[in-house]
Amino acid sequence: MSHGVRRTRQSPQDIEARRQKEASKIQEYLDLYNDVMSKKTAKEWSQEAFDLTTQLLRANPEIYTIWNYRRDILTNGVFTSKTPNEINHILASELQLTLSALRQHPKVYWIWNHRRWCLENTPNGPGTDESGEPGTPNDPLGWKRSNWAKELAVCEKMLDADARNFHAWSYRRYVVASSPDPRPLPSELAYSLKKIESNFSNFSAWHQRSKILPALWEGGERSEQEVKDQELELVKQAFYTDPNDQSAWLYHRWLIGPGSNASLLEQEIAVIQELLDIEPDSKWCIEAIVHYKRLLLRHKVQDADKLKSECAEGLRALARVDSQRRRRYEELGS
Amino acid sequence: MSCWDDEAGGFGAYPQHDAHVLSTLSAIQILVIHDALDRLDVQRVVSFLLSLQNPQTGAWAGDRFGETDTRFLYCSVSALSLIGQLDKVDRELTVNHIISCRNFDGGFGTGPGAESHAGQVFVCTAALAILDRLDEVDYETLGWWLAERQLPNGGLNGRPEKLEDVCYSFWVLSAMSILGKLHWIDDVALMKFILSSQDTEAGGISDRPGDMASIWALSAGLSAGGTVVLHPLSPAGLSLLGYPGLQDLDPVYCMPPAVIEKRGLRKGWVALPRRKEL
Repeated sequence: MSHGVRRTRQSPQDIEARRQKEASKIQEYLDLYNDVMSKKTAKEWSQEAFDLTTQLLRANPEIYTIWNYRRDILTNGVFTSKTPNEINHILASELQLTLSALRQHPKVYWIWNHRRWCLENTPNGPGTDESGEPGTPNDPLGWKRSNWAKELAVCEKMLDADARNFHAWSYRRYVVASSPDPRPLPSELAYSLKKIESNFSNFSAWHQRSKILPALWEGGERSEQEVKDQELELVKQAFYTDPNDQSAWLYHRWLIGPGSNASLLEQEIAVIQELLDIEPDSKWCIEAIVHYKRLLLRHKVQDADKLKSECAEGLRALARVDSQRRRRYEELGS
Repeated sequence: MSCWDDEAGGFGAYPQHDAHVLSTLSAIQILVIHDALDRLDVQRVVSFLLSLQNPQTGAWAGDRFGETDTRFLYCSVSALSLIGQLDKVDRELTVNHIISCRNFDGGFGTGPGAESHAGQVFVCTAALAILDRLDEVDYETLGWWLAERQLPNGGLNGRPEKLEDVCYSFWVLSAMSILGKLHWIDDVALMKFILSSQDTEAGGISDRPGDMASIWALSAGLSAGGTVVLHPLSPAGLSLLGYPGLQDLDPVYCMPPAVIEKRGLRKGWVALPRRKEL
């Protein structure tokens, strides 16, 4: 897939020259591919076969079958003659190899999967006794702790390179959930906050917050409203900074929820109205206000008729400033 | 049939490749279109597909290595439905898993906790359609989220604040078609965007205007002639938008509607009327 590659005009001579250069590379690749596939069909689990898969995957990390074969070679061949310590070393170098692959191909599912497999196959060790102290050579989960800690660092690097990489976010969630050392909630919250503060337009980080925050009030330490009030302050900064960015508006929608709290609705409508006064054509301000007023109408309110006509007016304004979606606004208004 | 992996009981992407649900669905779609299901070892494929569902969580793996993703759930449910074996699926387990992947914005992710993404919205919505459980979709909220994928240039993105890409013409439009909300976006603007991504010199369509054409984006933009395209989830956005001269497309199965209707699998989706001209 060549997404995002600019189109250039090419002369027939350019095209032919490139074709010839590529022809020999293609043949080399095909010879390697055929060699590996015939070993796979023969169920060969040798070190030689393993090394060939390394070459092939370096050339093309998207052949899922070869990743499968590589793992089968490790399981059925290489590992069978190794001690846990040696296995751990091999897995560490697998992780290193896939890290380089990931830097070039950050969104290839098969590479992320291979990392998961490596983590999951990390043997217990170096200690052999269950009661071995963490952080000492007697710790039976020492290797696992070390590998897991590195994986978290890998996620951070990948998310620094592309903060919206959903593979990295999913992988991070997996690493945190399966870690031998449960990762405290405040540090996960701090991480998502860090990402948001470096770029308000990171919906992936806002989304992550929506998934981990409930644990705060479910744990009983703080009330839901207290937590959400703090978040409302944060998200208000975001939409004031850039009222056109969808991320903050969506998160705000989550904070309000189904709108069971009428006074909260009124409060937030007022907050957004202040912004709308400065930015009268802001589609998101109008859209949010209309939505929250409609939620408010589900409560027993004194000025229901006024609210209804304000909503109708808001929908007409939306059809004007956001004409692509005018049929939705017309439908809501009918 | 040369892609049949006899050890696993499914199809690989290419001869001698390992079975995977993605390629198994493709193979079954092709067999169904060519009315050649008699070539299939139904029992083994059913066994292969069902063996990949986690009996506790309902999550579906792609192959024996265990990567789970709602894409695989869709592929399996769709494949089983096409070969008339949907009754073998544990509906409650499967639907509950989809629900666990649902987010506040009405959309769905790859797994529990993952953010909504147009590709996953498509697979989860289509899977729910096949299982007759669209009652689990919040039509208003998800319809809104999908409509908001349209950018000022007319193109669609897959998630908030991401770039537009022609391939989202399928994921987003198919889901909107299933929900009956296609009219919530500007169809003309989108068609113009897709057409402007056409490489009129070399042929083909790219992911956005000015970029290299790719076979992926091509199948994303058009519904090729009378047959469904090669890739199992090949988009046909223009067809759903009613672009003149194209064949219809069933967005739930990504197959020709006549084939789907013949098998009694037609669900309640709505495409825009076919225009005589743009």
